[in-house]
Amino acid sequence: MNEEQTWILQAKNGSDEAFTYIVETYQTPVYNLCYRMLGEPEAAEDAAQETFLRAYQHIHRYDLQRPFATWLLSIAAHYCIDRLRRRKLPIFSVDEDEESTYEIPDAKALHPEAETVHGEQQEQIHAMVQSLDSTDRAAIVMRYWYDFSEIEIADALNLTVSAVKSRLHRARKQLGKLLQETSTPAHVERSPYETPAF
Amino acid sequence: MKHRPFEDWLLDDQPLDPAQKRELDAHLRACEVCSAIAESNLALRSARVIAPVPGFTARWQERLVLARRAQRRRTLLGTLFFSLGGLILLAFLAGPILVSLIGSPAEWISAMVHAALFIYTAILAITEAGSVIFRVLPGFVPPFVWLVLLSALSGLGLLWSVSIWRLMRRPQGVTS
Repeated sequence: MNEEQTWILQAKNGSDEAFTYIVETYQTPVYNLCYRMLGEPEAAEDAAQETFLRAYQHIHRYDLQRPFATWLLSIAAHYCIDRLRRRKLPIFSVDEDEESTYEIPDAKALHPEAETVHGEQQEQIHAMVQSLDSTDRAAIVMRYWYDFSEIEIADALNLTVSAVKSRLHRARKQLGKLLQETSTPAHVERSPYETPAF
Repeated sequence: MKHRPFEDWLLDDQPLDPAQKRELDAHLRACEVCSAIAESNLALRSARVIAPVPGFTARWQERLVLARRAQRRRTLLGTLFFSLGGLILLAFLAGPILVSLIGSPAEWISAMVHAALFIYTAILAITEAGSVIFRVLPGFVPPFVWLVLLSALSGLGLLWSVSIWRLMRRPQGVTS
């Protein structure tokens, strides 16, 4: 059992300190997934916080045999997909008031990309990903930012492997079409095939 | 222009051998559609990982405190709601009886005393009748009938003990 598994086991046994370590370790991958899914830093912050809260509440259900990152990112992806669906169909939520009591720190400071982006390519990629269907988007983010295999994506999104293949195929085609329409060549900031978010 | 099999290679992210790579490169130089797909794949692979604003963990801890408080409030409200509901239901069902009891206390006190006296006299009468039967019955029943009755009772007792013992031996919660 490695150090991370020890922390996870302690968190399963109710240690707040151990769970805080998990939040420290996984905040960037979870936030990045939420940001790529929802498109806005404020919404991503809120979704990432909610993901960790849900993971904290249901950590007793986590199976130690399964990769923790897959389990955690699966919670984040499902939460973001639900949120995107709710955006399309506004529903009154009883918890709305409670959620609104949580204050997001400094809205301007939550635009890390806006501060550091040097070219418009990053924004272009971001906008292109936002145009995808929510589940296709989750599959693309998991594939390209987390190097998840099709089996891992299927596991995380509760899909069959063939469904994942078909979603990735469709999404790539749509992204290619979009890029062709905008016709600005993409700028490379991260070397291809490097493990991205972990 | 013919896109197959190049488009499929790109869309399915298939691993290619050196010869296929050369073929694909040649096709990409001439085909805008496939070139855009390849470029978007590359752009995705090179997209940056965005980190949250510093202090994420502290903000999460604050949120956890708020969530716990909300949970406690929900539990308290739920308990209060069910307790009140139960009390209202009880008052509705027991209301008429309570009203009559409060309205005429002398009546229900005398009814209670009557009932207690009835139970007491009934117990006395049964005890008396039982003692008479036990005194008179042995003289009427012949000894061999007693012997048969006692044997039957012992047999039943033995059967009961064996059944209990066998049930105790079977492990609990195991179906087969």
